[in-house]
This record gives sequence, C-alpha cells and structure tokens, in this order.
Amino acid sequence: MTRISFDIGGTFTDFALQTADGSVTIWKVPTTPRAPAQAVVASLRQRFGDNRHDPAYDPASVEELLHATTIATNAILERKGARVALITTAGFRDVLLIGRQKRYDTNNLHLDKPRPLVPRRDVFEVDERLAADGSVVRALDEAAARQVARSVADGGYDAVAVVFLHAYADPVHERLMAALLAEAAPDLPVSLSSVISPKFREYERTNTTVANAYVAPLVGTYVDALTTSLRDLGIGSDLSIMQSNGGLASPDLVRAYPVRIIESGPAAGVMFCAEVGREEGYDHVMTFDMGGTTAKLGAIDDGSPAVTPTFEVDAVNYRKGSGLPLNIMAVELLEIGAGGGSIARTRMGLIQVGPDSAGAEPGPICYGHGGTEPTITDANLTLGYLNPAYFNGGAMQLDAAGAAAGIETQIGQPLGLDRLQAAWGIHSVANANMERAMRIVSIERGRDPRRYALVAFGGAGPLHACRLARALEIPRVIVPRGAGVGSALGLLVAERTFDVGLTRFVRMDAAAAGPIATIFADLEARVREAASHLGSSGAVRLQRSASMRYVGQGHELRVLLPDGSTDAAYAEQVLQAFTATYQREFGYSDPDAPVEATDWYVVATVAGDRRGRDLRLDSTATGRDPVVGERPVYMPEAGGLVPCRILDRYALTSEHRFVGPVLVEERECTTVVLPGDTVSLSAAGNLVIDLLPGQSESLAETTR
Amino acid sequence: MSSVTQRVDPVTLTVIWSSLISVVDEMGGALKRTAFSEAVREGEDFSTGLFDRQGRLIAQGNFTPGHLGSMPYVLQNVMRFIPLESWEPGDAIATNDAFLGGGHFPDMFLVSPVFDQGGFEKGRLLGFVVNTAHHADVGGVSPGSEGVQGVTSAFMEGIRILPVKLIRNDVFDPDLMRVILGNVRLPEKMRGDLLAQRNANFVGAQRLRRLYAAYGDNQVTQAIEEILERSEARARELIRRLPEGTYSYEDQLDDYGPGTEPIRVAVDVTLKDGEATVDFSRSGDEVPAGINCYINYTRAYASFAMRIFAGIDVPNNAGAERAIKTVAREGSFFNARYPAPGGGRASVQVRIFDAINGAMAQAIPERAMGAFTHWANPKFGGFDRATGKSWIMYDLVLGGFGGRSYKDGVEAMCPVFNCANVPVEVHETNNPVRIHRLELIQDSSGGGEHRGGSGIRKDVEMLADDVTVTLLGDRHLNSPYGLFGGLPGARGRTVLIRDGEESDLGSKEVRKLRRGDVVSFRLAGAGGYGDPVRRDPAKVIDDVKDGFLSRGKAEAIHGAAALTGLD
Repeated sequence: MTRISFDIGGTFTDFALQTADGSVTIWKVPTTPRAPAQAVVASLRQRFGDNRHDPAYDPASVEELLHATTIATNAILERKGARVALITTAGFRDVLLIGRQKRYDTNNLHLDKPRPLVPRRDVFEVDERLAADGSVVRALDEAAARQVARSVADGGYDAVAVVFLHAYADPVHERLMAALLAEAAPDLPVSLSSVISPKFREYERTNTTVANAYVAPLVGTYVDALTTSLRDLGIGSDLSIMQSNGGLASPDLVRAYPVRIIESGPAAGVMFCAEVGREEGYDHVMTFDMGGTTAKLGAIDDGSPAVTPTFEVDAVNYRKGSGLPLNIMAVELLEIGAGGGSIARTRMGLIQVGPDSAGAEPGPICYGHGGTEPTITDANLTLGYLNPAYFNGGAMQLDAAGAAAGIETQIGQPLGLDRLQAAWGIHSVANANMERAMRIVSIERGRDPRRYALVAFGGAGPLHACRLARALEIPRVIVPRGAGVGSALGLLVAERTFDVGLTRFVRMDAAAAGPIATIFADLEARVREAASHLGSSGAVRLQRSASMRYVGQGHELRVLLPDGSTDAAYAEQVLQAFTATYQREFGYSDPDAPVEATDWYVVATVAGDRRGRDLRLDSTATGRDPVVGERPVYMPEAGGLVPCRILDRYALTSEHRFVGPVLVEERECTTVVLPGDTVSLSAAGNLVIDLLPGQSESLAETTR
Repeated sequence: MSSVTQRVDPVTLTVIWSSLISVVDEMGGALKRTAFSEAVREGEDFSTGLFDRQGRLIAQGNFTPGHLGSMPYVLQNVMRFIPLESWEPGDAIATNDAFLGGGHFPDMFLVSPVFDQGGFEKGRLLGFVVNTAHHADVGGVSPGSEGVQGVTSAFMEGIRILPVKLIRNDVFDPDLMRVILGNVRLPEKMRGDLLAQRNANFVGAQRLRRLYAAYGDNQVTQAIEEILERSEARARELIRRLPEGTYSYEDQLDDYGPGTEPIRVAVDVTLKDGEATVDFSRSGDEVPAGINCYINYTRAYASFAMRIFAGIDVPNNAGAERAIKTVAREGSFFNARYPAPGGGRASVQVRIFDAINGAMAQAIPERAMGAFTHWANPKFGGFDRATGKSWIMYDLVLGGFGGRSYKDGVEAMCPVFNCANVPVEVHETNNPVRIHRLELIQDSSGGGEHRGGSGIRKDVEMLADDVTVTLLGDRHLNSPYGLFGGLPGARGRTVLIRDGEESDLGSKEVRKLRRGDVVSFRLAGAGGYGDPVRRDPAKVIDDVKDGFLSRGKAEAIHGAAALTGLD
C-alpha cells in the first residue's frame, strides 16, 4: 500500500512517497513546463526501476496518487486558456469589461484593469429576465436563444459560459439555455453560473463561471493525459487533485469544477503546516512561507486552515482589487512583496524594500548572474546569516564581497551607514513589513498570537521567523523537516472535501428557522451527492457556515455555524455565532441592530484513514557532532557582530538542545536562532525554537 | 515646541513612518468593513487621519482624495469651538459643517484625543485620531442630502452640526443622538455608521499608543519632525522638476439646474520655486443651487491633481501639503461662503481635475489625458408602500478615461475619486427598481491616435410610486475634450422613458417619478489623444469587431483605408 504525491511548481516538481508503515521518501526534479506530466512520469518510471526489488515500489501497490498543480493558474496568468463564448442577459454584455470599476490604487490614474478572459466580440445576449427573488419577469426567448446556440456552435469555441442575472436565485433559464446548447453543440463543455457559483453580485459570478469555462478544456485534457500516462506505468489508482480550499477532489469533480484547483499548491502547503502543528501539539498555527519574491502568511485555527469564499487571481503587485475575483473557497493567505529577491532602494533618506524583485534571474547580487541591486538575500549574506559555500545545499557559491559592496554603495553611502548597519536596515525593514502583514492576519482578525505557534518554511522563512515571532509575542517557532517539499507532504495528509454554497437572503428574526432548515436540507443533500464522487468511502463530516452582516451593511463576515437539527432554536444559535464572530473580528457588536445572512455554505469532508499516515521521514542523523563551525554573525540582540555556532540540521537528534545565538543550516534554508532562545529537534523531526520569555514587545492591549 | 536635536536613524525612521501610515490604514480597514453607507463601503468616501499633539497632520489614509483638503485643518477648526483643556480620554467630537469639514453636510468628522494610559491621572496627550465618513442621509429637502436644483441655501440641506462632544467616556451622548437621528431619513443606518466611526478611532488610538510604547516619546516626536521636513522637501523637489510657468485652461459645467447658465471653470496653475499654486479665481460666482465648492473641497481635488501630475510619492501630511497652494476668490464658485449650498459638489471634482489636466497638458503633455466621460451620481428615494419603509438608492454610473499619450483610455473605470459600483443584483435586492441595461455606448468615445473610453448607458425602472430622483451629472451640453488632435467624446444625456416616450432630463434635475418610469443614463464618451489618422489600423479593426465603433463611424474618423483589413 503505497501513496505517492507530487506538486508541480514553476521550477521544481516535488514528490513524496509514503509506504504502508508510514515512512516517507521525498525528492524533487526540474519541472517540464511545456508538458508538466512528462517530468512526473519520467521520474516515477526511474524510481520504480531503481527500486524494482522493493515491493513498496511496485506500481500495482500504489493505492493513492495525490496531486497539486499550477496548470489552471498559469492558463489564466498567461491568458492561454480556451476560447470561450459567454451567453448573458440582454443589456448586460459588458459585465466583464465594466467589472467593479474601482482603481486598485487611488493615487494612480495611469493603471489598467485586468483583461477579461472573454473579449467583447464573444459575448452573446439572450432576451430573458428573472427578478431578485428568482421569479420570471420575462420568459427566455427560446427562438432567439436557439439562434444564439447555433451561432456559438458555429463560432469555433472551445467552451461556453452561461450567466443570467439573478440565476443564483433560480437556475430555470440557465438550464433551458444549457438544453438548447446541448442540441446545437453536444460536445461543447458548458459552465452554468447557477452550478459553478450560485452567488449574488453579477461581476464576480460571471468572472468565476467564465474562468471555469476558460480552464475546463485544458484541465480536462491534462487530467486525462496524466491518468493515461500513469496507467501506462502500471499505476491503477485514480488521481486526487488538491483544490484551493485545502481538500482533495476526484478527477470527475475537477473536470466539472476546474476553477477550484487554482492555488492548489499553496493550499497543500498550508495543509502541511496544519499537520506539523498537530505533530507538535498545536491546533493554532500561523504559517509563514517566505520564498524568492513574496511572503505568504496564513492561519490555522483549531486544526483547520482559515478559508475565505473568494480568491483573486492575476493581481498586480499583490494589490487587492487588481486581479480577477473568483467565488471559490480558498485557503486564506496574505501575500506581500517580501522575498529573498526583494530589492532594497533608498528614497527620501529611507530604506524601501520590495515589492520589486530581482526574481530568480538575474536574482540577488550575490548570485553573480548579473543582479546589480541589493536584495534581502544580499543583506542576509552580509549579516552572516547565510553561508556562501552552502547555499541551496552547496549547489551555488554566493558572492559575499559583491553583495556587501552593493549594499555599501547603494544603501550605506547615501544614508551614512556602514555596510553592516545598511544590511541590518534592509533586514529589519523587511521584517517590519512582514510584521505588519502578520498583525493583519492575527490581531486584526481576532487571533491572539500568544496562543499560536509559527510554522516557518520557504527559502527565507526560517531566517526571519524568530524575530517576527518575537515582535508578535508568538512563543514558539517550528521549522518543519521536509519543508522544501511541503506541498507534496501536505497532499499526503489532506482530506477529501467538497463545498457547496448559494445565495439566499434570510433575516435573523422569528421567521428565520424555516428558510434556514430548507437551505441546509438542500445544500446537505447536494454536498452528500457530490461527496459520493470524491473517491473515498469514509464517513462524511459536514461543516456549515454563512456570510452574514447587519442589515444595511455591504460587507459580510463568514461565520462558522454549529451542526445539529435546524429547528427554531437553531436560528438563535446562528445569530449568536454571528455576534461572537463580529465581536472577535471588530472588537464590538451591536445588539440592537437586525442581522441577515446572504450566502450559505456546507463543506463535506470525507474522513481519511489516519492510521499509518503520520509522516515519518527518514532520519539521517548518525550521532556525529552537529556543531560544524562558527562564524561572526550580526545579532544586535547580543550587541552586534558575535561569534555564532553553526549547526548541521541533518546531524541533530532529539537529544540536542542549543541556546542561541546559533544558526541551523540545511539544504533549503537557514534557521536563525536568536540569543537566549532555545532550539531542539522534536520527536517528529521538526526544529522547535522556544523564544525567551519577556523579549517581545508588549501587547497588553486587547481589542474591545 | 520640539526642535530636532538628534536625528533618528534611517532604519528606525523608516519603520516608524510606515507604522504611522499603517495606523490610518487599519482605521480605514475597520471603518470600511463595518460601514452601512454605500458611499463608505463601496465608494470609500471616507478618510482617516493621525495628528500629533501639536495638531499637525502626520498621516492620512488614502481612501478618497476628497478629504485631502479638509483633513489637515479639521483639528484646528474643532479646537476653536472646544478648547483642548476640556478634552478627556474617551471623548470624541463630531462636526459635519460644510465650511469646517468636507464641504457638505453628509461628511461627518469624528475627532478623538489619544492619551497614554496614566493610572488615575489623565495621562499625557499623544495626539489625535480622526475619521470622516459620508453618511447616507443627513436630512434636508432631498433624499441623500445632495440635491442641486431648487436647493438655494444650506438650510435646505439637512442638519448642521458645529463641533460637539458626541461621545463622552466612550458612550454616545443620548440627547445629542436623539437630536441628530431625529433629523435624518435613515436613522438606523446613521447610527450603525457612527458606531463604525467610533470603532475606527478606537483602533487608531490603540495602535498609536502601542507605537509610542514601542519607540518612546522622544524617538516618535523626533521622527515626526523628520517626516514633515522630508515630506515637504520631497514634494517641492518633485514640483521643481516640472517646467516653471503659469498654465491656464478653461472648461465649464453645463449648468446648475434646468434652464440655468453654465458655470465657468477657469484655472491658472503656477509652478515656481518648487511650489504649485492652483488658482480658480477667474471661475464663475457662487450659484443658488446645491453644488458650490467650499475651499476645502476645491483644495482636495486641486491637491490631488497636482500630486498626480508632479508624481508626488509622499503620503499626505502637513509637510507635503505645504508645497501645493489652492486659491480661489472668496464668493466664487470654488470658494463659497456659508450658507451657500454645496450638497452636490461631488459632481464638480472630475471637472476640477479636467481643468488642471488641460493646463498641465501644456507643461507635461506625456502625463495628460483626454477628458473623462464624467459620471452620474443619482439618488432615487421615496416611501415604498409595499414594505412600509423609506428607501434611498445611491448609485454611481462610471464611464471611461480619456486617451493617454501612449495608450487608449481605460473603459469603465472610476475617475479621480475612487469608487466601486453597486452590482445590479444588489440594487434590485435592496430597492424597488429593475435595471434593464448596463452597457457601453457604441460610437461614443472620442477618437484619436489613442481613443478615449466609451460612455455607459444604464436604464433604471421604478417599481414603486412616488419616487423622487435627484440627478447629479454633467457633460450633457459640452463634450469631454480631446488633446493634441484627439476628438472630443460624444455628449451625454439623461432620458426619462415614460409610457414608451423619451424626454430629456437636465443633468442636475430633481424629478418626481412614478411606477414604470425608466430613467436612462447615457454618459458622455471620454476625449481622445492625438490625431486619429495616426491610429494603428489593427486597433480600428478590433474596435469594429468588438462593437466599440460602428463601421460607419470608424470610416468617418479614421478613413476607409484603416478598414481594409476588415472582413
């Protein structure tokens, strides 16, 4: 019984293979961008061949294949999806072009809006109209609709999206249109808004439905091709693919709802953090993934990642409102332009870090690939945190002199700082940016950081994590093993989920009980039906939630709701859940104001069999001394440049305990342990850093 | 009071400055997410400010430019009424006065002192947090309190609150609340928004206290001096890079109600010695209609325009503010005197920008663009017998940008101020209306090497009796101009469709409507940039294929040769 997971990223494809006893082997190969399945099949074939005498590597013994992919995201980012026709209500062909009309930057009048996935010439109008309550105002003009269906059939389109106004309230006209399309073009994949996203607000719903149609042919072909190739290898089991909500889905569901696999990889990464938290006894975890261009921050509460009902793809410089909004449940991640490659510049005698990034090419100055502007990585090298001879496991020699010189001339001299002060300036300004983002994710959203552990990963995460944790009074930092393939490991522990949602306005008064019961009966029937296609037969667990607000507000809060019978008392529980969530989120609530719910959701999770699923990664520690050296490192906490012991992570065992300042080096990253903090290796193999109490800035205030 | 003896190191200064800005951003985030007023939550028609203990603006949340002109002065204004000695922790002072504040009564300011927490003593004053939000209605003759036609004095525009202590010890004064809420159409909405405003100041005060605790009074105080100094220096440096001189432009507003004269909008921008002076004195006089601009409002959009043209990248504060002066003759349309009515002045902001854009096109042609399509900001309202409730539908119809020196104008994006539209499905859920179309108007954009954006058409049918619509639009009589050979956009119209018959409405008319009436907004097209003959024929063909241009119009503007690739 073997389980294999693979996460296809932009640069590397990461693998994890788990055998029946739970032990996990990890590896990575370069991605083959043009044909992503190629690298997967080639690498697996080679693994199977190399281990042909090990029964765990018998293709026939592979029980599960778990997969995360960027294919849908890339199709949208590169505008390389299908040629889609959009059919919509007469008078509203410009919904996509108009959008919500707000500039993502008030102080910029020279910006552009995201290019719609369907050009204006491919939008067709049909005469029909529903009212907000779903009643028919004007019946669909069937003759004209049939004509439109024929035009679409003859137009050479790859897919079609149908979005009528208020179709979230009643799918009648969309279904009729789908029937006419089925007659005219039986092979054309059709996405209906009443199926893909039955939620009010026409722009977001249209965009979601169109995005679904846009990636559907590509994702379908990809899933089929991958399945065939894996079958050819002798693997009989079905693929499961990660959705943006952090749950796995079957190929059938992914073909029907391909828009839901956007952000597949990052979602798996967060699931990995949840597992690492669980291993270390933490249900509440803040996640911190700092890579080359950005830092991504997330939260796990009670063992589950925070999930939002909307996601924005193709944003400009991570600015909210600059991309295409999608109504999909997505693991909540705040992304800011702070990564190892973020460029530091001076302006007005200040230091500015990011969001411009040197990326991987040319990269930081110290890469020696032509980068000329100093970056966070250059600063970290100058401060002694990075080992020039052991970057990326020694695969790359860093140019320390070049980095220091760049910092000195471009940051130090203009500001009157020496090279160490200037490098420290870059490092600490980057920290301040991330600290602010972390505050938003934690304190501003009602989370008390003192109850959380910080799981840090990514190439630069563990280097910055401890200072970030101190600033927020997070008592413990965890640097997981296998973080370099975190998403692949996350796939191994993820569960199968499917979510359904719809818009129904219900005011929380004496009459609410009936509508709530009807809504959940409907949603739960639908989600159970879908769950039967998830590709697993475990017990189904349901989580209800709703988007709620005070009557008259325009922004809703997602409120987790209890399960149980939806009787008259249940409506009162819904109201209480809202009040408590509002209080936690905003620091006050208004008992006198009426409350309403707009959207309702049920997420079904098929409980996986967790026996033997603990991630046991092979340990290579051999009892050798983990202290492999010492070098001067800039630690203002200890007064400046101080000698600092260097630990080899691969030599650490759970017997070891070191008090900072120390650096722990591993292939993918370096962990900076601050003076007075204690680092040790947990039984599960994770680095655990306990922060010295009393070192953090006071956070005595609480929200009202 | 405090002179800079020792400079703060650049790293600490960077971090303190960005933390101060994050205070006003967080205040804004809290306000926006809890607001009831459409103007606040969709239009971000609110602002947040942080002042030091000397009353100087240190950071302002960049939500709408509309309060750039009033925020820096509000604290001084408020202190003239309520001396600082009488301010206690937990107090908040409110005012919506047009002259002291945002230029019309719907903008309610809430000013709170921030003290550090000193045991039994009052604690030391650290500074002030302020926010202002556009409320849905503050009474007066027209729903939404922004009527133009027939509103001849500020006394018709609703309740006017000179600075009062609305909150004491964190609790709203119940007597004052009764006075205020008894004078507005949607008291529940206003109450909710005042709660949101109180909370925003609470969040701001908390963050400011934390900042002082983390860095110490001395360091923060010194950092503030540095911030103001450097901001002013930077703003002046950027203005100094523009070619010195005086640049003038004249445009006009259609009228101030049906059958009235156009309002002259004349601007002289002088760039000299690192300072910009924007002078509207040659413009028309105050008018007897609810559209006059108080100087705070004129200053807001004049500053915004100059920040854009000079590329000023310093967040607004009392230092940066000093580099741009706004002047207008007292008693003129752009420096109105109380009790001149100003409820509908929002309509003017795009024209302030257009005029300055016309002037700056002479100085820095590459940063200028054709004129905007203008926009419509109608309010429908009445008493719905079906629900037994008063209702107000606040709407925003937003068209395109003018052509740019390097690219076409953007379609359907909010000009100058910054606002999201309200979805059709939301309007129809909340109000007794049905919207029949919302689409770009073919052949409306101003042609050019880079064409302007299109006008937008939106048709709204009344599903209730006894509705009053207050219109707030423009560019019905004079087109959005083009630049450097670019053509003007088509003129706009507002049409009443009653029993199948179309009749024109004035752009700022107030009209009674009945069930079944359709008001059709047809915005002007935006102006083009550069000679249309120079337009890339491939783009002309695309425009025809996408239906932005009819074949005939394309041929008329660009010549038949441009269409040879079609078919």
